[in-house]
Amino acid sequence: MNPGRDEAEAARRLRDTISTQFGRSLHIRTLDTGSCAVCEQEIRLLTAPHYDLHRLGFFFTPAPRHADLLLVTGPMIRAFDVAARKTYEAMPGPKVVVATGACALGGVYPKDPFVHGNAGEVLPVDVWIPGCPPSPLALLHGLGVAVGRLAEMTPGLTFIADSAAGGGEA
Amino acid sequence: MPLWFARGLRRGVVTTRYPARPDESAAWLPTPPAFRSRQLTRDVADRMVAVCPATALRRRDDTLIFDVGACTACGRCAETAPDAVAPSGEFELAATARSALIKEIPIRGGGR
Amino acid sequence: MTPTHLPIPASLSRAAATSEQLVERLNALGGLEVRDGGATRGTVTVRTLGETLEAATHVVAGAPGARLADMFAGGSGPTGSGVSPGDRVSPRASRAADNGGDAPTLRLVWALESGYLLTETEIHGDRYPALSDIAPAAFVEECEIYEQFGIRPATGKPLNRLMLPPHAGPDFPRMRHRPARPPEEVHAPHTVGGQAFEFPFGPVRQVGVESLYYGLVTSGEEVVDVYLFTWHKHRGLEWRLRGTTPREGLFFAERAEGLSAVAVGWAVAAAAEAALGSTPPPAAARTRAVALELERLYNHAAAMAALCQATGLTVGQSAAEIALERLLRVNAASFGHRYLFGVIEPGGASRAPDAEVLRRDLPAAYGELRRAADALLSTNSFVDRLEACGILTAEQARRLGLVGPVARATGMATDSRLNAGGPPDGNPYAGHLVTAVTADGGDALARFQVMLGEAAESVRLIGEFLDAGTEAKSAPLPPGGGRGLGWAESSRGEVLAWVALDQDGRITRARLRPGSVRNWRGFDDACRSQNVFTDIPIIEASFWLTAAGLAR
Repeated sequence: MNPGRDEAEAARRLRDTISTQFGRSLHIRTLDTGSCAVCEQEIRLLTAPHYDLHRLGFFFTPAPRHADLLLVTGPMIRAFDVAARKTYEAMPGPKVVVATGACALGGVYPKDPFVHGNAGEVLPVDVWIPGCPPSPLALLHGLGVAVGRLAEMTPGLTFIADSAAGGGEA
Repeated sequence: MPLWFARGLRRGVVTTRYPARPDESAAWLPTPPAFRSRQLTRDVADRMVAVCPATALRRRDDTLIFDVGACTACGRCAETAPDAVAPSGEFELAATARSALIKEIPIRGGGR
Repeated sequence: MTPTHLPIPASLSRAAATSEQLVERLNALGGLEVRDGGATRGTVTVRTLGETLEAATHVVAGAPGARLADMFAGGSGPTGSGVSPGDRVSPRASRAADNGGDAPTLRLVWALESGYLLTETEIHGDRYPALSDIAPAAFVEECEIYEQFGIRPATGKPLNRLMLPPHAGPDFPRMRHRPARPPEEVHAPHTVGGQAFEFPFGPVRQVGVESLYYGLVTSGEEVVDVYLFTWHKHRGLEWRLRGTTPREGLFFAERAEGLSAVAVGWAVAAAAEAALGSTPPPAAARTRAVALELERLYNHAAAMAALCQATGLTVGQSAAEIALERLLRVNAASFGHRYLFGVIEPGGASRAPDAEVLRRDLPAAYGELRRAADALLSTNSFVDRLEACGILTAEQARRLGLVGPVARATGMATDSRLNAGGPPDGNPYAGHLVTAVTADGGDALARFQVMLGEAAESVRLIGEFLDAGTEAKSAPLPPGGGRGLGWAESSRGEVLAWVALDQDGRITRARLRPGSVRNWRGFDDACRSQNVFTDIPIIEASFWLTAAGLAR
């Protein structure tokens, strides 16, 4: 069994499903599971003039019932579990969960009695966006990946810089 | 609202063309490190592992395991080992598989 | 116990009290011991006995210019917590360290015009004196202390659950041990002629805002009461900081309230520096101040955008967001991070701003902010919604111990950048900032005007600091242990931090008190009476606090 290949295959199938089913517009519901408030500020700027999320067919909605995509920040504080699950379950399928920021990806807080440390412990995460905070450009890329419109770059990046120039290389 | 309207017209469009075109403001964003494997020794790797506040670095024998997802681009590893680290310049980091964010960097520096 | 009333000497009744004068008056109560440092560090710590705490509090509370800035508890137990370096603190290890059977120490932090006065009192048993002089201001702190340390004021009044979730069992990590009786869920009693109903709102609220759980009590349209629960955002940062070095701890301190990363980081670094007797080089202190002013600027721009959103003014919101985005890009271009994380380090600053970029780009970004603000102030539909909305009086601000623009908008001239305390040459603002920006009226419009005035001052200050020179330099922290208090003026108001370091330089107790902890106390007062539901978002935007900063 090749877990890497199975994962890549599942990801491809997910992307195909998403492009077919969501068409050209997607509604996003945000969920703060205990962030420091900066990820939320970057998310709010997505609808600001410099980034204008709407031109790409993405819209925010306060109602989970109308949402297609759940954008999750924070380290998943345990006391928030019930609220997180309720929000996820209130969204009708098909739906996509995007974990955003180092806290939600398991970077800042280890698993302990206060927090799970990682959004994936409570919700089935489909796309992971690193950053502390992820900038609006990084969020736009992540949302593009979530709907299959943009290619993922990280599988091809090594983060090894052995050339003299010293930049990262693909 | 003639005041607002006139000002808006005069200022012009500020909206980014990203993702259709690259955005130059990306050049100023902090990015995760890229490692120079030939400058890495077990010692250097251990120092960086100790200083990383987000547990994004671990060492397993002669491999430095770098979790890009956990990285906050704080720069402490670069401060500790400036010869071994350079900014990657990458900000398009989203991945559908969490494992795609775990990178293995060979430790190829000579000596200990 | 009846407090001792001392005649007020003529000199004190006019000028603000200094720490020396207060120590003299407190000495008269007996049983006092002056601890660490002295006026040169800007902070005086006095140890009082349990019997004299009430009287001491009465003396200080009545002194002109004194304000209760914080109240917290901490073990006075053995230093050295038995935690290995690099370990994430395990619940078992920390419980063992704290339950050494030592009585907890209750600390009150009083802000004076020049420096701070701390009183420390060991509390034996589970009650401490009523401290009625400070009860209104200290309610949040009293609840927190009860949950974490199991001690409560002698009045026996009900205390709310604050940080710990309802399911927190006996093994849930606390700073000491859980109280004998769990806190009740009792809120400010309210009387309404006719029926009132209560509905919980949140914690998942509108898009792009933090989780926050309000209980809204209303008789229809009018807000009778609003109370907040923040246990779903409690990450246990003070617990988590134990066993860390100041450098390691700073990573979490910045993320206590990320929108005040520079201010909280500065306060914690300054506390460690005060504990060990270190002063950052002046050029590094100016670097910190440049970062702090940039933080103030972008927060005020963000508050302006939130006010426009709350009043339904989308064009204004867009204009404010353009200014905000430009300011964040200035931060990234000059300091390498849009939110200025990683600039402060213990002993100084790890990054200096690119002065050329800052001088070139800041005026244009500020110009956007200024023009948007001027346009808003000439837009009736905006001004009318803010006028008389969420009024707080100066008396309320004083009684509740409020800080920042919320307090200054009522006329209180309190700004910790003006505090003449601190190490000699340690305050980069000395000689640059002369007065606090205040306004009258205490409504949302006054708060907005204070923010605008401060933004203009911030730009001027940044220019002056750049002229005087900024560097990335740090004075290394000397070895050993100690206790120290640090402070910084965030965009939301005074941030306080206090640390106790053991002989290995590791934190045994860290206290983080962002401005949000003080100012959420005033939120329900501002929302009550003659405000309607739709005013709540306006009031919330004009306060511009965070749930993360309160819950930590």
